[in-house]
Amino acid sequence: MNAAVLAPQPAPSSEPRLANNLRHGFDPITLEIIRHDLVSIPNQIDKNITRTAFSPLINEYKDYAVGIVDAEGRLISQSRGSLLIFVANALGTAVRDGIALHGAQTLVDGDVLISNHAGTLGQHLNNVVMYTPIRVGAERRLAGFFCVLMHWIDVGGSMVGSCTSTTTTEIFQEGIQFRSVRLFRAGERLPDMFRMIEYNTRFPDMLMGDVEAQIAGCFMGRDMVAAIADKHGLPTLEAAVHAMWDDAEAASRAAIRAAKPGVYEAFAFLDNDGLNLDKTVPIGIRVRIGDERIAVDFSGVSEQLPGPLNAGRNGGAVAAARIAVKYMLSPNDPVNEGDFRCLDVEIPDGKFLSARPNAPIGGSGNMIPTVVDTVLRAMAEAFPDRVAAAHHGTYGVHSFHGISPATGESFFHLDTLCGGWGGSAGMDGYGPSRSNVHGDTSDVPVEMQEAFHPYRFESYALRPDSGGPGEFRGGVGIVKTYRITGPCRINLKIERTKCPPWGLLGGGEGKTAEVEIRRANRNVDGGHDRNGSGDVLKVFKGDHPLDAGDQVVIRSGGGGGFGPAWKRDLAAVARDLATSCVSRAAAEHDYGVVTRDDGSIDNAATQALRQRMAQGEGT
Amino acid sequence: MVAADTGGTFTDVAVYDATQGRVSYGKTLTNYTDLVEGALAGLESTGVKLDQTLLFKHGTTHVINTFIQRSGAKTALVATRGFRDTLEIGRGNRPVPFALEYRRDPPLVPRDLRFEVGERIDAHGAVIEPLDTAGLTQLAETFRRDGIGAIAISFINAYANPAHEEQAVALLRSLLPDAYVTSGTLLTREWFEYERTSTAAANAYVGARMGSYITGFDARLRERGFGGSFYMMGSNGGVLSSTRSIEQPVALVESGPIGGCIGAAAYARALDEPRLIAFDMGGTTAKCALVQDGHFDVQPVYYIGGYDHGFPLRTPVLDIVEVGAGGGSIAAVDARGRLSVGPRSAGSEPGPVAFGRGGVEPTVTDANLVLGRIGGGAFMQGRLALDRDAAARAIRERVSAPLGYDGAGGVDSAAQGILDLATTTMAGAIREITIERGHDVREFKLFVFGGGGPLFASFLARSLNIPEVIVPPHPGNFSTLGMLIAGARIDLSRTVVLEAVQGALPTLAAAYAGLEDTARRTMHAELGTNAVTFERMLEMRYRGQKHTVAVPYGADASIGALLQSFETIYQRRYGNINPNCAVEILGARLGAEAQIPCPELTQMAGGAGEAAPGATVAHERRSVYFPAPHGRIEVPVYARDALPIGHAIDGPAVIEEYSATTVLMPGDRARVGKLGEIVIRCSP
Repeated sequence: MNAAVLAPQPAPSSEPRLANNLRHGFDPITLEIIRHDLVSIPNQIDKNITRTAFSPLINEYKDYAVGIVDAEGRLISQSRGSLLIFVANALGTAVRDGIALHGAQTLVDGDVLISNHAGTLGQHLNNVVMYTPIRVGAERRLAGFFCVLMHWIDVGGSMVGSCTSTTTTEIFQEGIQFRSVRLFRAGERLPDMFRMIEYNTRFPDMLMGDVEAQIAGCFMGRDMVAAIADKHGLPTLEAAVHAMWDDAEAASRAAIRAAKPGVYEAFAFLDNDGLNLDKTVPIGIRVRIGDERIAVDFSGVSEQLPGPLNAGRNGGAVAAARIAVKYMLSPNDPVNEGDFRCLDVEIPDGKFLSARPNAPIGGSGNMIPTVVDTVLRAMAEAFPDRVAAAHHGTYGVHSFHGISPATGESFFHLDTLCGGWGGSAGMDGYGPSRSNVHGDTSDVPVEMQEAFHPYRFESYALRPDSGGPGEFRGGVGIVKTYRITGPCRINLKIERTKCPPWGLLGGGEGKTAEVEIRRANRNVDGGHDRNGSGDVLKVFKGDHPLDAGDQVVIRSGGGGGFGPAWKRDLAAVARDLATSCVSRAAAEHDYGVVTRDDGSIDNAATQALRQRMAQGEGT
Repeated sequence: MVAADTGGTFTDVAVYDATQGRVSYGKTLTNYTDLVEGALAGLESTGVKLDQTLLFKHGTTHVINTFIQRSGAKTALVATRGFRDTLEIGRGNRPVPFALEYRRDPPLVPRDLRFEVGERIDAHGAVIEPLDTAGLTQLAETFRRDGIGAIAISFINAYANPAHEEQAVALLRSLLPDAYVTSGTLLTREWFEYERTSTAAANAYVGARMGSYITGFDARLRERGFGGSFYMMGSNGGVLSSTRSIEQPVALVESGPIGGCIGAAAYARALDEPRLIAFDMGGTTAKCALVQDGHFDVQPVYYIGGYDHGFPLRTPVLDIVEVGAGGGSIAAVDARGRLSVGPRSAGSEPGPVAFGRGGVEPTVTDANLVLGRIGGGAFMQGRLALDRDAAARAIRERVSAPLGYDGAGGVDSAAQGILDLATTTMAGAIREITIERGHDVREFKLFVFGGGGPLFASFLARSLNIPEVIVPPHPGNFSTLGMLIAGARIDLSRTVVLEAVQGALPTLAAAYAGLEDTARRTMHAELGTNAVTFERMLEMRYRGQKHTVAVPYGADASIGALLQSFETIYQRRYGNINPNCAVEILGARLGAEAQIPCPELTQMAGGAGEAAPGATVAHERRSVYFPAPHGRIEVPVYARDALPIGHAIDGPAVIEEYSATTVLMPGDRARVGKLGEIVIRCSP
């Protein structure tokens, strides 16, 4: 599989789909009705799972995806709130491997299989795809699979949470692997497998509850898809699915036609792999646009890393390319396989985005936001109206764990950062919100955290001056200040601190993330964390002990600016000043806006300063 | 007794004359320049005398419109130090995937009007830092100087101890007697700081304006001789006094669609129907809600502007799902040859093509007319003549031709396609309110109203495998009719977070004592009544789950009995239980209801039962198109008023009345029930 090209499946549909329908003799209205149903089923199951799952990771943070794939694993539809990182079709990838292992004919009604196999999915082992065949009609023909992917809260390995360690060196330290093994056979539970799961996790109650929600979602979704096939017949269902794919393909081809053809490059880098803290990780991207196709070439990215910042091909290069392309080509249509027919993904084996099966991949998702950002940056010139400057670019994992004072049991609270997004032509950057590979992923409320965990928030606020200056300013990040009230630990995986979120077309950089642990009054046993009273520890990664009285300050990055800051509308700067999103000093330094002590803008001084800035830019 | 409902297009009025036991209806176009005048004009058309009116209930879209048009007061927020940005950070989620241009609606209070004050309470309600009253006094000075007339107060963990919020409200009200001051815990005692803060901000934002609207409405009624009681319709299905409406205007946010559901619940009780889906199809949207055991579900969070971009309100709102499919929904074929129906609507201006008022895009109503489902005189008692040929032409040109439906039956097929797609959208809404909430749709009956509901009922029921449909009398006026029978209702709740063990009982008893005392005092102040009935529900879940199930709580319940009913309910809803998992009690909910005089359902049946013998024959036969395999059939058309109780009709047939048309499909069997309702059994 060297320099593999992702299934191009050339189904040139330059002729309108309408003709296609008539040619096949299917009624276009029926196809439209089926399409509606197929798109809405995963959304309905999605909500049902939110209601029934046990861990806040699923029911508040919503780290899961629900989807339908066809009998060959091609994505038909996926729930809207799903994390974007799963559109790589992790669902179909698992299904294809299952078919290859078992043979489609042996996957019978009521079988339920799971896979988190690193060599297949290339994502951290917590991401477990569960799928069940959809068989229809008297002959029980295979119509496809209903799939639910969930982030299991813990699957063993060297550290609580499994994917959390920043220092693993092989996959076996990150948990147990299941490669398309059955949980149910023909509708019958296989208790051995359930026990196997139960005794390989640190949180059996929570996980087994989540697994039950996952199973119920699979069966319910399967029945709903089967009902469509029963009502309209499998050939009509399949025709509707092909019409969906053809439509999506036509939309992305049209978007490519509107872009400026050419070969584009961009470069960025990650801080480190968690082991070698001083060694940055290069991301060189080349994008070729032309002839109604887009090729994303990852040959210029780092080799596979010793530490866990790797991903396999499907969870790495393919996922990042698909997400970026969907952002640019057809963001407003529901995602399906057809979106990616015009995409070629090129990467040799053994890169950090196409890591070998035994490589450590605990952080398989953590670096994808930056990779997606870089692919988007490469496409900026081709899609000048659509693209935005860089966003804060990291999951920003900051998870607390320890013993809950409320329940007396161990807890693991996974949290990620909200930060600023980049400005774009005509719009300031948005934020704070999560990364570009998250979806409808919500903060767990402060009040809920304080009720169960040994800390209090002293503030959760916007971070002034963190947005990159620009005619269209980058969105601002946030500052969270915690006061620790009892012993616990914090697990950090914060990236993108050395390669700040870049601006575009003369826009400035956003600020990068920062973490400070301010020790209260005692030494803490924790390896290199032996700091005395009043010491401040500045870290981005690793697992660190905390004790009562410690203060933890976490700042997230802002988005990059778009266009030169001195061109920013004065009224917009005045509003930034009024809302304190931009300080007086920054207004003058970055935007060339001079204010008087009463807060009013000194127009003459501003005009002069901005003129100098404009000239300085010209030289 | 009068109910007046000011909607987006029409103001509807229903009047119940207790002396004669009759209900009459009025309808006028909503008067946006003077909403009060519009409602009064509607009232005059019914001929009611205000000086003989004892009870006036009013529903309005005024609150929701204030949010959507952003026309509320300049509002300040006072938050705990460190938390003024809660309102803007929200939950950090992006409900719309892949959209770089995604933006949430901006917060109602911009950052320069969000202030902080020193105070802190922990998760158990203990005071960590006292309220900085000096700082707050200084803030009051700022508000006075800047002319800020609306102030929301929201503190972290106030759900566990509202003392600081209460103190701050009292202080600001005394310092700024003309300002509208509200707080999060005045409106909800539940946790989740973003939702509570957002609710407080929204309440302040509409507060001053609603205050003068309600006071003004009341005053103008009294000028015209009204001496009775004036109530506002709340989103939870109960009416509120004007005092309480002014205190919590967010409680009026969805007073529009509520009436129909109150009516549906009343029918459910009278007909002894344990599970109904109340389905309301109007001109622009269709809405559905569940009625179980005579009660509808109320959801604790409501998003103004929708979940994707909007902001949350923690106020009890009827649990409703709304989709953009109504009579005015426009059918269009896009460049890729895909047919869509709605959410764009032709509204009443220009309206469907058949109205002949300038509409050129075909709508659902046009399709219904072309297929013979509605007659040419279906609107405004025939005063609005419908142009069937124009409707057919529009469908031919804009749907049949681009989709390639040629030949004689092409227009029929395309028109049926428009209705099928609308049905799919509406069925999706019904699935959402059942499946997403863990119910089996086939266990429900479909209760339809609104101008379009009875037209689609049989088709919808078939597509969802629902066996039975109920069409109440006067489906087109059902919403105002529901308002007439609304009682007073208060929903209160408190977050508790307890493990379900013996030791939790005293805490629960204390929580309910407090809630019941509040409810009793409020009802007494508003209605002068002590006859209040309580419905107590605990929110319980397995530890860690997000969603709770509601478990009835009796004051004398043992923990064992509570756990058992939790498991029974959980099993019924989700199909499995987890016996090893700890069970938590997350909240105590109290619904308090007091009856106020209202008409009996039997008095609303209209002409049913008074028909002369022989009047039950069809007054017309009409060609109606039914989907494959049927095609066009000559069917009898009946006047609903002429059908006596117990009368049965076999489909295919059409039943017409003043405000709606009911279509029976081939194989359907309809019967007029004891309250004048039409019950349709749909055989597949």
